[in-house]
Amino acid sequence: MDAIVARYSRTAGVEHDDLRGEEQYDCSAPSSLPLLSLPPISQPAAFLRAHTDDASNPDCKIKIAHGTTTLAFRFQGGIVVAVDSRATAGSWIASQTVKKVIEINPFLLGTMAGGAADCQFWETWLGIQCRLHELREKSRISVAAASKILSNLVYSYKGMGLSMGTMICGYTKLEGPAIYYVDSDGTRLKGDLFCVGSGQTFAYGVLDSAYKWDLSVEEALALGKRSILAATHRDAFSGGSVNLYHVKESGWTYYGNHNVGELFWKTKAEEQSFENVPTDFTVDA
Amino acid sequence: MDHMPENWGRPRSDVYGVYNPAIHNAGPTTHTQQPSITGTSVLAIKYNKGVMLAADNLASYGSLARFTDQERLIKVGKETVVGVSGDVSDMQYIQLLLERLIIEDNYEQDGHNLRAPHIYEYLSRVMYNRRSKIDPLWNAILVAGKKDDGSPFLGYVDLLGVTYSAPTIATGFGAYLAIPLLRKIASDDGDEKRITEQQARAALDECMKVLFYRDARSLDKYSVATVTTDGEVTIEQNVRCQDMSWRFADHIRGYGTQTM
Amino acid sequence: MYSEPYIDPASAHAAAAPIEHRFNPYSDNGGTILAIAGSDFAVLAGDTRHTTGYSINSRFQPKVHTLPCDPPILVSANGYSADGDTLVRRLGQRVQWYSYNHNKAISVAACARLIQTMLYGKRFFPYYVHTIVAGLDEEGRGAVYSFDPVGSYEREQCRAGGAAASLIMPFLDNQVNLKNQYDVQTGEPKTAVYLSLDDTIKLVKDAFSSATERHIHVGDHLEIKIITKEGVKVEYFPLKRD
Repeated sequence: MDAIVARYSRTAGVEHDDLRGEEQYDCSAPSSLPLLSLPPISQPAAFLRAHTDDASNPDCKIKIAHGTTTLAFRFQGGIVVAVDSRATAGSWIASQTVKKVIEINPFLLGTMAGGAADCQFWETWLGIQCRLHELREKSRISVAAASKILSNLVYSYKGMGLSMGTMICGYTKLEGPAIYYVDSDGTRLKGDLFCVGSGQTFAYGVLDSAYKWDLSVEEALALGKRSILAATHRDAFSGGSVNLYHVKESGWTYYGNHNVGELFWKTKAEEQSFENVPTDFTVDA
Repeated sequence: MDHMPENWGRPRSDVYGVYNPAIHNAGPTTHTQQPSITGTSVLAIKYNKGVMLAADNLASYGSLARFTDQERLIKVGKETVVGVSGDVSDMQYIQLLLERLIIEDNYEQDGHNLRAPHIYEYLSRVMYNRRSKIDPLWNAILVAGKKDDGSPFLGYVDLLGVTYSAPTIATGFGAYLAIPLLRKIASDDGDEKRITEQQARAALDECMKVLFYRDARSLDKYSVATVTTDGEVTIEQNVRCQDMSWRFADHIRGYGTQTM
Repeated sequence: MYSEPYIDPASAHAAAAPIEHRFNPYSDNGGTILAIAGSDFAVLAGDTRHTTGYSINSRFQPKVHTLPCDPPILVSANGYSADGDTLVRRLGQRVQWYSYNHNKAISVAACARLIQTMLYGKRFFPYYVHTIVAGLDEEGRGAVYSFDPVGSYEREQCRAGGAAASLIMPFLDNQVNLKNQYDVQTGEPKTAVYLSLDDTIKLVKDAFSSATERHIHVGDHLEIKIITKEGVKVEYFPLKRD
């Protein structure tokens, strides 16, 4: 009987599937994983690639910002993190003022390389997870655990087109200064020194030649800044300005934004370096 | 490990096979479709006392003129007309949706009835949601009627869910052939206040004739609908193109403008 | 003159695989938008031309929206207009729900974060739009936030988006942020100062009339929405219609 009633009665108003959008607003408490809608087709990854991957399909309309140089290294006085600030979409410079260091919480920093939205979104999400850990466990999360939350997350999306190469940097009593490299393939590596991005080779070149564990804080900050400067000079996809951070036991401190425009000439004059670049452009008759 | 971040995370050729450039035309889960029986342009223009629409009576099957008595101007509710171009089966489905919508609305008996902006809103959400399911309704639709304040309303929505309003709108070929003619008398919002019913009708008749000259999927038999701001709807059927001149055809050799 | 359609030589056999049907769920409806933040105001401007391909669909289809909150927030999502309209409509509903749930109006900063989550929610089937938000921050200063299609965002002094972004942005770098300009006396780089509202509007008009000269998808009318502590004011100016 109920079946018959259900069959011949309808709720008020036109109820039809075509009016139902993909995004339903839900007032209930959010779950720990945000819901990401998928295109309703057989190969979602191929679809996304066709519309956003300008490397495979230069005609694609949605161009996602790319290109970067970021670095972080451990030394006697903690960790130095240095990054550039350029975002490119093809040859268009979308921004020269990107914040590529994401302040996850007062003790944790994440760096941004690859898709800007992927890094920004999942690292803020990581901040939420770290805070929840703190509330549950009554103690700060370790860098190892934090980085693993992120690597597990990106691994669950493997092959879907997420694009990120990040360094999770932090300082805990247990671990001391720690850096974990996490990328969207699911790779997670602990290490003393990483450079990530299209300009990484240039940064490694400078960093490796002067890196010592016993660097003073001042020397380490200068080296980080100088390595990014070298990368902005040689890598077209890196530039804008250098953002500098120092992480120590009491948390991270920001060491300013250094515009490449001025920093370059200042560095060249002070060090007598970059001799390939002339200062005087007058041509002898 | 590829260390160029622009390559990271993207579906890699070595893992997922080489990139297939044809795939960006998407691929559905189950439904597959392309328009089969189609109607060509719908034209519309606002004038001082309402909106006027025209659409011919042809339903084509590819290049075959399959049905010559297809009505594509639909009266919805008391004071709205919807003109549909594109796939005819999808048009009939839209007609079904709109009939259901009006019936449900009538149940209320609240003295309120759905007007053009409401129907337009409904249709545009249906069209957008279907495109988001990659299962579009293959149509371009014009909705004509009056706004809540009594002024004329005219809106466009298509298979992508793209919407816009203007004093003159045409779908399909009409966008290229009729719009330049119609914009001569109404190009900006407000221009419609200076156009009489007779002027609007003359302009549409002229446009239908021009379309019949050059649109190979058109017919010289069409319907003209008027929706006045008083809420009156009339649909005049079986209108014929008048005073046609085919002298220009004499000069056509082959395809286009060869001089031989 | 025309280049060959792009075919990856390595994928010749993959291209032979059956493609179930040809429907491209995206389109580009042209237009351009621009926002500038001042000391106690912000402006968000956009042209009103709506296009597909080479056709002008409408000469007056405004796309700068005022969100239903107090103080108001201006938002525009430029690109594929069906996605833009949908995003703005859903945002309006979310902003209204925010005021019901929290019994206060949403701040621009919170609104910006909300937009990030909405855009990123469609990370794998993106909204094809460049979104810009303008309003007053909690100190009453002008605030502009801009977003990429999948939700990465940044607060800025000024930003151009849409079809002619690449024409307007360099002009803004020069005129608003005084990039690469040096003081004649000291040789020090000039530092940007807040523009007055009058100067800002002059700048916006110049930016749009210049973009109209050089971009086919820009023109017809310019709509400027100005937000101050008094509320939102709208001004219209004609642009070339060719």
